Amino acid sequence: MTANPALSAGPSPLLALRSVRKVYGEGAGAVEAVTGVDLDLMAGEFTLLMGPSGSGKTTLLMMMGCLLKPTSGTVSVAGVEVQGLPESALPAIRLRYLGYIFQGFNLFPALTASENVEVALNLKGVRGDAARAAAARHLSRIGLESRLAHRPEDLSGGEKQRVAIARALAAEPPVILADEPTASLDGATGHRVTELLRQLAREEARTVFVVTHDPRILDLADRILHMEDGRIVKDERK
Amino acid sequence: MVSIARKNLLHDRLRFTIAVVGIVFAVVLITIQAGMFLRFLTNASILIDHIDADLWVTSKNLKNYDFGRPFDRRKYYQVMSVSGVEWAEEFLLGFSFWKRPDGGQESIEVVGYDPQSLIGGPWDVVEGDPRAVSGLDGILLDVADRQRLGSPRLGERVEIRGYRARVVGFTRGAKNFTQSPYIFTSLENAHRFSFINSRQVGYVLVKVAPGQSVPVVQQAIRRSVPFVDVYTQREFSNLSRRYWMISTGAGVALLSSMLMGLVIGTIIVGQTIYASTIEHLKEFGTLKAIGASNTYVYRIIMQQALIAAVIGHVLGLGVAQLLVRALRGAGLDVLLPWQVIVIIFALTLLMCVTSSVLSIYRITKIDPALVFKG
Repeated sequence: MTANPALSAGPSPLLALRSVRKVYGEGAGAVEAVTGVDLDLMAGEFTLLMGPSGSGKTTLLMMMGCLLKPTSGTVSVAGVEVQGLPESALPAIRLRYLGYIFQGFNLFPALTASENVEVALNLKGVRGDAARAAAARHLSRIGLESRLAHRPEDLSGGEKQRVAIARALAAEPPVILADEPTASLDGATGHRVTELLRQLAREEARTVFVVTHDPRILDLADRILHMEDGRIVKDERK
Repeated sequence: MVSIARKNLLHDRLRFTIAVVGIVFAVVLITIQAGMFLRFLTNASILIDHIDADLWVTSKNLKNYDFGRPFDRRKYYQVMSVSGVEWAEEFLLGFSFWKRPDGGQESIEVVGYDPQSLIGGPWDVVEGDPRAVSGLDGILLDVADRQRLGSPRLGERVEIRGYRARVVGFTRGAKNFTQSPYIFTSLENAHRFSFINSRQVGYVLVKVAPGQSVPVVQQAIRRSVPFVDVYTQREFSNLSRRYWMISTGAGVALLSSMLMGLVIGTIIVGQTIYASTIEHLKEFGTLKAIGASNTYVYRIIMQQALIAAVIGHVLGLGVAQLLVRALRGAGLDVLLPWQVIVIIFALTLLMCVTSSVLSIYRITKIDPALVFKG
């Protein structure tokens, strides 16, 4: 695995949100999902975002991942303010800086574990044998070397989530955004997956940001944010 | 590079099969209709196109050459005397009846030509001699019509409009739009076999002298010979084709069937690809989330459509070829030159690409929240 390129950026945050606000709808029916959030995420930080359903966690995560434009405020990824960028420039930002892990794994059912990871490498311009070798390396690193040729339907929940993690890491992004990565897993598997995410933050200085309801993984976090009614109401650092 | 398009298609075999069957159906329908259209179009002017004449002199206001109206033979001499005419030949074409050995009758078209010059005669003689019609009763008929006319052999005597005739040869590829077999014979015999008396001619064929302009000679004949029409070969060919393909509605019907095949194919393929897109919507959303551009995702949809198009086209052509053989066996010749196959392939691609437009539109509307739903 290569060194995190964002480390050279020094102490500045990899992901920074300033007065970020998101309103859905207009007029009387408008709903303010996120209300003026300020947040800095540093390299090597393993952060959990907790909060009740409807508190705005997923909306915040989508804005951090450049999948949703804020109504107002700014989102900066590695010092680049994304609001000013055209829609066509965002895939390149996501590809270079952001890796996603989803609650439902979102693997391609028609592809093998290796191919699922290769897709991310292909997007990065790595193709053919080089992509296959890199995918095998990423999957071996998380203990899936014997499952390279298996399709998602032949993998357990934990294995699927590890493939998703390998895919998120394949493009070597400095920031990993995860949405409820343990929700579909049993306690032990969920704990192992979370350990793996923490390891990524600690050993590779990646910024790992996890939205979760899972109290079993609280002890692994460096920082825990609590969100209610669209606001971050508590920011605990360990 | 991982081919998500190919893998998706093969993973979804039932859906893929339905899409391919839809394309095969459309390709077969379009191919057969196009082949029949081309065959009928060719047959609609087959004699005109095979006769080496620059100009055709006909009676006034003809709609096509099969339904010609004979005119006074003296006009033939008038045409010959026009300046710029290298030669002029009489030509006869008239309906008649062929008596089958079983007592039944078949409608035929008698083609009368000069056996000395062979102008207006058969162009592909597979057996016998086209000059042998100069005898009292010699005729040539097409091998494709043999069975229909009672399977006469070379030298066999037959009966046309109560007159005795003798088979002196067989032609190939002389099929017309009316489906009445062409019977080639001398001008003298043609007068007897048809209802055109010997003081009349059906058409006058004209060759323009070297160095003379065809339009100039055409105008000169128009000025010199009253109550006739003068067409260039191309004009007369187009006149006949227009009549059979447009005025009778036959061509429009065939083209409508082709269009219907295209529309049905587009709907089936579009529906299948769209359903597949909806099923894979979350995957496409995930691709976009992990950094794929819209173009990358559209390319996958397009590749799916194109893979289905190529497989559907190849299978469709195979089925169409089997059908063409079966139709030939039943006496319906379908023309399938390579150009038609290329055009149908282009149409198949167009059909499949058009089908994927709706899917692409749907992809542009993906809600980013979709990828976060468990």
